[in-house]
Amino acid sequence: MKQSYDVIVVGAGHAGCEAALAASRLGAETLLVTLSRKTIARMSCNPSIGGMAKSHIVFELDALGGEMARNADYTGIQFRILNTRKGPAVQANRIQSDKDRYPLRMQTIIARQKKLEVHEGSVGRLIIENGTVRGVEIVGGQSIRSKTVVLACGTFLKGAIYIGDTKIPAGRADETAETEISDQLKECGHGVERLKTGTPPRLHKGSLNYAKMTLQPGETPAPLFSRQARRERMFHVEHSGGDTGGMFHVEQWDPDLRPWPPGIGQIPCFLTHTTARTHEIIAANLKRSALYGGAITGTGVRYCPSIEDKVVKFPDREAHHVFIEPEGRESIRIYPNGTSNSLPEPVQVEMIRSIPGLERASFIRPGYAVEYDFFDPRDLDHSLESKRIRGLFLSGQINGTTGYEEAAGQGFLAGVNAAACAIGTPSLRLSRSEAYLGVLVDDLVTKGTNEPYRMFTSRAEHRLLLRQGNAFSRMLSAASNLQILDPQDIVTMTSDDLTIKSELERLSSVRMAGESLFTILCRPGVRYPDLPGSRRDLAPELVEEIEVSARYNGYIRIERDQVIRAERLERTRIPSDADFFSIHALRRESAEKLSQIRPETLGQAGRISGVTPADIAILSVWLRRNRAATV
Amino acid sequence: MNCDETICAIATAPGAGAIAIVRLSGEKSLELCDRVFKCRGKKPSLRPANTLVHGHVVNARGEPMDRALLLVLHGPRSYTGENTAEIQCHGGQVIARRVLEACLDAGGRMAEPGEFTRRAFLNGRMDLLQAEAVQDLIRAESDRAAAMALDQLEGGLSRRIRSVAEQIVRAVAPLEATLDFPDDEIPKISDDEILNPLREAETGIRDLLAAWKEGRILREGVRIVIQGPPNAGKSTLFNRLLGHARAIVSEHPGTTRDTVEESLVMEGVLIRLTDTAGLRETECEIEKEGVRRSRTQGTRADLVLFLLDGSRPPDPNEDKILSELDPEKSLVVVNKADQLHPSRTGVPEGGRRVVISSRTGQGEAEFHKALLEKVLCGARFSGGSGAAISERHRGLLIEAQDEVSSARADLEKSDQALWVICASRLRSALEKLRWITGEEYREDILEQIFSTFCIGK
Repeated sequence: MKQSYDVIVVGAGHAGCEAALAASRLGAETLLVTLSRKTIARMSCNPSIGGMAKSHIVFELDALGGEMARNADYTGIQFRILNTRKGPAVQANRIQSDKDRYPLRMQTIIARQKKLEVHEGSVGRLIIENGTVRGVEIVGGQSIRSKTVVLACGTFLKGAIYIGDTKIPAGRADETAETEISDQLKECGHGVERLKTGTPPRLHKGSLNYAKMTLQPGETPAPLFSRQARRERMFHVEHSGGDTGGMFHVEQWDPDLRPWPPGIGQIPCFLTHTTARTHEIIAANLKRSALYGGAITGTGVRYCPSIEDKVVKFPDREAHHVFIEPEGRESIRIYPNGTSNSLPEPVQVEMIRSIPGLERASFIRPGYAVEYDFFDPRDLDHSLESKRIRGLFLSGQINGTTGYEEAAGQGFLAGVNAAACAIGTPSLRLSRSEAYLGVLVDDLVTKGTNEPYRMFTSRAEHRLLLRQGNAFSRMLSAASNLQILDPQDIVTMTSDDLTIKSELERLSSVRMAGESLFTILCRPGVRYPDLPGSRRDLAPELVEEIEVSARYNGYIRIERDQVIRAERLERTRIPSDADFFSIHALRRESAEKLSQIRPETLGQAGRISGVTPADIAILSVWLRRNRAATV
Repeated sequence: MNCDETICAIATAPGAGAIAIVRLSGEKSLELCDRVFKCRGKKPSLRPANTLVHGHVVNARGEPMDRALLLVLHGPRSYTGENTAEIQCHGGQVIARRVLEACLDAGGRMAEPGEFTRRAFLNGRMDLLQAEAVQDLIRAESDRAAAMALDQLEGGLSRRIRSVAEQIVRAVAPLEATLDFPDDEIPKISDDEILNPLREAETGIRDLLAAWKEGRILREGVRIVIQGPPNAGKSTLFNRLLGHARAIVSEHPGTTRDTVEESLVMEGVLIRLTDTAGLRETECEIEKEGVRRSRTQGTRADLVLFLLDGSRPPDPNEDKILSELDPEKSLVVVNKADQLHPSRTGVPEGGRRVVISSRTGQGEAEFHKALLEKVLCGARFSGGSGAAISERHRGLLIEAQDEVSSARADLEKSDQALWVICASRLRSALEKLRWITGEEYREDILEQIFSTFCIGK
């Protein structure tokens, strides 16, 4: 281990891994500090990647040079597209990954990454000098200096696990953490709050009766996230005369990186449901639940509620879905998705066994709830750097989010921006109109959150523009700027982007029976290959992009116009030293909010809750006058 | 714009009046008054708020120009939220003009149109809708319009628009939920959960648009044109409605050659009444032009009062002429009831006719009733429901209505692939409603609104 680094990443969950990889791939000397190498990229909850809106983030990460998409593709055991009936703008990929293989592959990638070292240990304190972070102190060990630090310690800050009335201080089952980081940040002016999350019990695969459940098979060909896995499949299809069932073309066979060809040998999930008896058991034992007994005070996830929540909030529902998800190809563990709870273990057993197919279920581990500290993300700027401690970047669950994808996205941004701060590589800020990652960060730093923040397509103003299919086009300029991707990838992304644009142009200019081919393609039921002169060599995802562009044409144009209209406000910058209290026309409460959040632009200021259009008008006048005075 | 500057303007309407008011606003407005207003005791800037003082307005050389009263107001408790002074001088434009010039000489700046209200808005003294209402209040020419503008000032329209927006939000919420979750992860949402609130929102917007018609009539008045063959008694009716002899009347057909316009208030509604030349074929060039103008006026009117000469039998072309009138926008009146020709006595086919005598006043009550009914047809006078809807509001309401209706129509097709577009449309509808209430910031709206204010408010 060296004496000093450019970037130190604390925590090796999904945020920490992306942060460490992004920083080292940009050329920064990076140290990743984790309790144990074996827990790197562990899937603490559901072993699945993607889903509504989260899938979009994974596509964006892949186009920027993140690792999550490949990691999910190569370790996936079931592949599905959700919401296909609702159209391409809101449909999403979801992959069930092998819970053992997913972290193993990531650990291999990290171990082989140049300029990236891993240190096993726990960070006790941050070294902060003159308001700037200078490194970390390892518990029971030495100090390590660094130019920047990325915090990605998930639920480990003052984490507490609850099973019924039992409380264990820990961030994840069987792992402990002792650190003063939380108090240090508090001292420096960061707001600290509590949140909670939960996980269901794990059941023994052989103890379930699948005959009583509905089969949920994966889809073939498997919908993949990453350009790399799709390219390998294309290559294989070309060289085997269209037979997708067999082998992939693989340059180098490496079981840790490619345990099996992506999408091959999928394992089904199953669907069952709770019963009246399940609800009775829960209702009778509510007082013994950590959540309802009052032990937990943090706010929980509204969108992925515990089973106690579901029973209390929807008393009229006779049944709730329970998804039976295998945790891996070789694993004996089953994840009964939808039964997250914090009831005492004996009650959990009784409750689970009242579900059809789970009558004889044997427990590997009970479900539990975790309560942990998170920092008010409004203390960060759009690069995820702290506004209180220079050089310190925060990412993932400690910013109040939930989900692997949300964490990975922030980790990547924090890693890139920490490297930018340390060694002067390009920084990365994405706008709300170009990426879900942009929406995510802007929401966090502008509005903050009082419950675990999960991404939804409805959080984006311009949903029709932010599709997973066009993620590579949207990220193209940022990706070329960063150059984390292989140069060859940038070349193919550029050429794919041009292909779509030139095909759309051709369709608009070529007419058939008085109508442009584009107009014909807009009609329901017409597909791109049906049109004369269509290229036969295009990848299916490019064909789909062309079709989607035609289908949503009018609406995409409307959303583009909205973006352009809003741009002037988004481009009007507010000086970082603006004294809002000196603007006497501004209401005091607005001045307080603006001073706390310090919006970077007028557009951002307008999104702060409680800041009115009148405030923005006043600010706009004040800025204009200020500018006139300084010129 | 610089709020440190003192802005000045004559706040009273042009024309003769007992007093005129010159208003000054700005942080330094009272110090400016020290230079132009001389009084006994403390100088204006040292006087307590909300006090009146008697003194002299002086020019740059210190010569007194007029005796006047000075009202001192301290910000933020003033209309603009800034220090404000009102100099009440003697009426008439000449004196007020000279007082204003003295203020400008002393360092004040001429206020831009709407600048006082713009400052009030920027200083948080009123919201966007209230600012617009002030404009309407100043322009209001009848009591009803004033009452309506006052209602908007108190937030009535904002409330109604917000309740429409709430309905849309009620529909958007389940729609967004179905887009954000796969089918098997959320309970089934019935079509009615989305469609019912949308239908209510549509009704809400329709009501607001109907109120627009009412609002426009109240604010701008109704254009009524009196038309008809020569010598039917149009000018006599015109004078009778006005209550004084404005138009020249004579026994000779073709007396009125040009159009004559006057305003009157009937039952609280402002009416702009136009008398026109009688419609007939003529060789006289002047009269020809009069007839042409009469026809143009007819097409622009909200209501045409088509007058027939009841003392004569129907003209052979009469039926044809009457059939060309828009029944919605016309009222046929048979005049000269006191000398009614026998062929005019029966109830004619097709459409209602009112029989009057504009000379004796016979049938007048019934005529007024019929006229008001026609004028206000379709417009519901809901009284204090906040129906002051400007052209800007109407345009946005129509756009929002289009979005909501298309979304509703698409949702009824039960093709889920259209839902993402419906959600997009409904968001856009919400955005438009928020533009009306000013909850969404768009500077061009501000500019547009404020530039239409008259100077002084």
